[in-house]
Amino acid sequence: MSNHLSSREKYPPGDFAIWIIIYVELITFGLLFLGYIFSRRANVELFNSSQLVVSQTSGFINTFILITSSYFVVKAVQYMKNMTEQNYKESNIKASKWLLFAIMCGITFLIIKITEFSHIFGLGIHLSTNKFFMFYLFLTVFHFLHVLLGTGILYIIYKKTKVYGYTADDYKGFETGASYWHMVDLLWIVLFPLVYIIK
Amino acid sequence: MKRILEYTWIILVLLTIFAYLLGYMKYINTSLIALLLFTTLIKGELVIDYFMGLKDVTFKYRVIPIAWLVFVISSIAYAYYIPI
Repeated sequence: MSNHLSSREKYPPGDFAIWIIIYVELITFGLLFLGYIFSRRANVELFNSSQLVVSQTSGFINTFILITSSYFVVKAVQYMKNMTEQNYKESNIKASKWLLFAIMCGITFLIIKITEFSHIFGLGIHLSTNKFFMFYLFLTVFHFLHVLLGTGILYIIYKKTKVYGYTADDYKGFETGASYWHMVDLLWIVLFPLVYIIK
Repeated sequence: MKRILEYTWIILVLLTIFAYLLGYMKYINTSLIALLLFTTLIKGELVIDYFMGLKDVTFKYRVIPIAWLVFVISSIAYAYYIPI
């Protein structure tokens, strides 16, 4: 194994600025998670009864979709990492295919969430209905916006791969977008049991 | 390990199915909640290390999301278990 492969890489993948954003996002969502769990602690019955209205199945399907999309993205990143000056076109094409699957997952997630929100709003539930729904809507709508942005970022990367825009020396932008998408996945991994399962 | 990403995805899916099935129980006892939180910790750790690709970076960058995850999961456990 070469020194390059065996030695620890100094910086996280992608542009360092995205990691500042990721750390800030984690803190922001972390505070919202704490707000939810400590409010629940003071209103257990209210939270448990309100939780029955939200669909665990759509939460589960969306978790599966995000995990799978993250897998597709990391497979695409592998093609970038293994790219050489000779095979950069082929690597871009293969990465674009994995990205397309990930984008489709992102769109499916958004459609399922819109259906879920339509159901909730159709029941006349809104932010001020009670504390559970305030946190539920705030957390899930906020996360929804992140998925929307993440899907848009993946699409921009996808478009660039279609014109062989990434080379062995320059694929940092690709990793930057991928890192953002994995953060969206990580946030949902905590959000799913917290809002949909724990009672 | 050659197929580490595939194994990671399979573990994530299996732990998600476990959480989903747990959600259908009318009453989840405290041991199962502890198990659920532990599996959530494992899932988050797998995403951080293998999907985000932080396993091989300098520890100071890797430790931030791991510390965040441990803090959030511990806080959830604390709020769940400690009586008001």
